[in-house]
Amino acid sequence: MSGPDAMPVLTHDEVVEMSGAFVLGALPPAEAVAVRRHLGTCQLDHTEIAELGSVLPVLAASAPVAVPPDGLKARIMAAATAEAATQTSAAATAEAATAVPTPAAPVVAVASAPTPSPIAPQRAARRTGRIGAAGWALRAAAVVAIVALGGWNLLLRNQLAAAQSYQQAVASVIDVAGQAGSLTAVLTADGGPGTGLAAISASGGMTLAMQDLAPTSGSTVYTAWVIGGDGVPADIGSFTVDGAGTASLSAGGLPTTSGIVLAVTREPEAGLSAPTGPVISKGKATAAG
Amino acid sequence: MTRADPPLRLRTSSPADEADRAVLARLADGELDALEDLYDRYKTMAYSIAYRITNDTTLAEDVVQEAFLGVWRNAARYVEGRGSVKTWLLSIVHHRAVDAVRRRRPTTELPDVELPPPDALTLPDVWAEVAVGLDAVTVQGALAVLSDVQREAIHLAYFGGLTQQEIADRTATPLGTVKSRMRLGLLAMRRNLEGGSS
Repeated sequence: MSGPDAMPVLTHDEVVEMSGAFVLGALPPAEAVAVRRHLGTCQLDHTEIAELGSVLPVLAASAPVAVPPDGLKARIMAAATAEAATQTSAAATAEAATAVPTPAAPVVAVASAPTPSPIAPQRAARRTGRIGAAGWALRAAAVVAIVALGGWNLLLRNQLAAAQSYQQAVASVIDVAGQAGSLTAVLTADGGPGTGLAAISASGGMTLAMQDLAPTSGSTVYTAWVIGGDGVPADIGSFTVDGAGTASLSAGGLPTTSGIVLAVTREPEAGLSAPTGPVISKGKATAAG
Repeated sequence: MTRADPPLRLRTSSPADEADRAVLARLADGELDALEDLYDRYKTMAYSIAYRITNDTTLAEDVVQEAFLGVWRNAARYVEGRGSVKTWLLSIVHHRAVDAVRRRRPTTELPDVELPPPDALTLPDVWAEVAVGLDAVTVQGALAVLSDVQREAIHLAYFGGLTQQEIADRTATPLGTVKSRMRLGLLAMRRNLEGGSS
């Protein structure tokens, strides 16, 4: 047999000999590729490999039953939805690149674009049908809305770095959103730009991703607030924003009651005990179903 | 009551397979709800295999996530007739899990690329038949036909993620003998599932 980096040329008998290791995945990569290559060209009978492969479900069924954690499903669905939305944004950007430039092009929802590309991710973004029926759907819809719309908006302005930064922030939110007992909030703009997505873990840790914010200067900051049942805003933390318009914020000690409100205001300085500036964006944190 | 085991416990299709293929068709058509359905059907099977191989809850979760996302991404590439969706998913989970444990062993040779396409997509017939009625008796009966050394080799490969050379080294057994133990052991299991003598 050749070294691990070489691609051995196998005879029929050699493939038969290593057929068990092949179906069990016990061949080094180069040899596995060589077996596949042989099977693609060999005129002799290799049905035994199919017979050996048919036994694998029995081996799999012999594994002791292990129950996956509750949050795994939401994590998978959120990841798939975010990926679909990202692809949707990329496809939409490609379409925009071929169109006649229109400086005042409106920011529209990708899902309602008049001539959507028939690629699957775009259909996926439109067909998240059971929203509200399952916990992941709310989170997934939030990710679709934020990533797709945010990605579209940012990419149209060629702010790829900002888009990537925002998507990284969203990925952090997704990680928290996928945990059991977490809350998710979509922060929508309150009369101006600035949207975001936040997740609060069962232990009160919050991750916030914001985009489309006007840059700050001087001592001006954006401050995030949580408003619980008592209706009194509590300072979560403050952050500044550069020309990219994106920001992320992590904090702990938040209440974990479904229905609390997260809000972002623009303040003259950090550390204020109560909001004084305008509400830029806000949303209600709800639990997964 | 007369009990007559079917002579053949291997077949190519069932109503459950048809339902799975319908789910996969929805996935290929971009319906994310279908991914939820597929997860609900096979989450326990997938996680059980992943955890059995990785023995690590975090790693097993990552494996399952990537496996289902892999099915979602490649749903349109699934080839009907080359195995059931369940078996295809199982193979992806297994492949991902083995890859994960091998990455924890720096001395193991790894593929240059992240992962090759699942075998069912590129290699006709490997998964051409699917075991059915895998109750505990059937599984234990099939495993019982293995000799101790066959069982050791097969388990080290399938659940341990070891290559044939690593198995040979660990068990101080000639490589050719390891190959024979895996092949003959699987053949014996196959004959048992067919209802014949082993």
